[in-house]
Amino acid sequence: MKSKISALMDGELNQRDVSNIIEAIRKDDDLQGEWEAYHLIGDTLRQSSKLSMNISSGVSQRLKAEPTVLSPNISNLEKKLKRKVYAFSVAASVIAMVSAWLVMQNLHEPQQIIMAEQPNYNHNLSIAPIPVSSSLSSPTAIHNHSHPPIEINDYLFVHREFSPGVTMRGQATNVNSVTEYHERYGR
Amino acid sequence: MISRKIVALFLLLAFGFPATFAQELPRSSESALNWLKRMADAPRRHNYSGTFVYYADGHIETSRIVHKVDSISERERIEVLDGSPRIVFRNNDEMKCYLPESRRIFTEKRWFRKFFPDILPRPFDNVIDENYYVKEDKLERVTDHQCQVLSLIPRDSLRHGHQFWIDVETGLLLKAAVVNGSEIIEQFAFAQLEIGGEIHSDSLKPNQSMVQEEWKVTDLITSFLKAGELKWQVMNLPAGFKKLVEMKRNLAEKPTLVDHIALSDGLATVSVFIEPITQDAPASLPGFFTSHGAINIYVRILGDNKITTVGEVPLETIKLIGDSVIKKD
Repeated sequence: MKSKISALMDGELNQRDVSNIIEAIRKDDDLQGEWEAYHLIGDTLRQSSKLSMNISSGVSQRLKAEPTVLSPNISNLEKKLKRKVYAFSVAASVIAMVSAWLVMQNLHEPQQIIMAEQPNYNHNLSIAPIPVSSSLSSPTAIHNHSHPPIEINDYLFVHREFSPGVTMRGQATNVNSVTEYHERYGR
Repeated sequence: MISRKIVALFLLLAFGFPATFAQELPRSSESALNWLKRMADAPRRHNYSGTFVYYADGHIETSRIVHKVDSISERERIEVLDGSPRIVFRNNDEMKCYLPESRRIFTEKRWFRKFFPDILPRPFDNVIDENYYVKEDKLERVTDHQCQVLSLIPRDSLRHGHQFWIDVETGLLLKAAVVNGSEIIEQFAFAQLEIGGEIHSDSLKPNQSMVQEEWKVTDLITSFLKAGELKWQVMNLPAGFKKLVEMKRNLAEKPTLVDHIALSDGLATVSVFIEPITQDAPASLPGFFTSHGAINIYVRILGDNKITTVGEVPLETIKLIGDSVIKKD
């Protein structure tokens, strides 16, 4: 019978057979399904944009009928992976907590540069701990620029007193402007 | 397994970090300070000759050194082998620097700076312990000599750390590094060295060509000043820093003399230069600069003067010192 439906679709049946087979399909649900399936296959093969039947209702019905699996069967590998992810997340939280605690600790005394114990040298210079915060917190007034004063070479020369490791006067000294002061010191 | 790692990580974070942040360092041990004392004395006891390398920021400079000591004097010749030639002769505290390319000689009558491998102040005292915690580390071999490694950990954030490799046999410094935490900022190290043995006096004298030809001589110092003679003063000197000397400098072709105040904490040196702003020397913009290695520079304008602070200390310290320069009434 299936071959007759196929022959009907291909227009290979004579008029009488056509009438008979159409009558048979109308009466038989299975044959109707067969008929629709053949058309769907044909449409798909021809890459027709409009399929002859709506399969979505069928699919959703099938899905509804599927039993819900409550205990999924996870392999050992997957379990290990999950545990690793869990471990890393715990480690990350620990790091976050400790860092936060350190930051909080620093916040208590953030601006003071730690000074060494004050030895009492008796010079004409007064030596005392200086609160650095005020002077260091506002280097905004200082412009960092890319052209260092030329006399810096002389100063370096005199400061290091010919010591090896410093480029000599008259040579192009590698003096760089520090533009990232804020980034480096964050204040 | 994983949980053990987490516990270890937690312990490290909980106790490791605060330990490194804690600034309460113990007093340096007697034996560690004795190593420094030996190191300071070694150049006064031994002849040596060799080649050492300076390394910072990917920049390398090689120098040859000959050092001779006897009962009355200490003489040295250091020749920089890379780049433009430069030969420094030292006779006790007197320095002469020959620049063959420009046929110039710079002289310095009183040498107060130190250079590798003779970097500690003389006479050595334990003041260094007030600013650095000196710790004996492992033993390491440098240029075929067994060395004691010393770590000098700064007691505050005003200075860099140091590491010294000291020859166990002679006490001579064979390698030195300036460090910021675990990062090496600059280092000196002998690549080849001979300690002891005779050193011919000829190797400590300028070549014939240097003596015969006409070279222009510039004396870098014109006058030393008594304390308080300078009209400038560094107020509130940062902890551990002492004034070494005040002087008037004769710099290059400058029409006016430049005031120079030198400070030190026993290891790191900071120079403050004060120069009037004139038409010939116009005011430059203030700012921060870096050079090779540990050197930091801070330029600041105060009235009609330009104050330049230069030193092997962190930028914060440079700013602190530069900002506390005031003019005396």
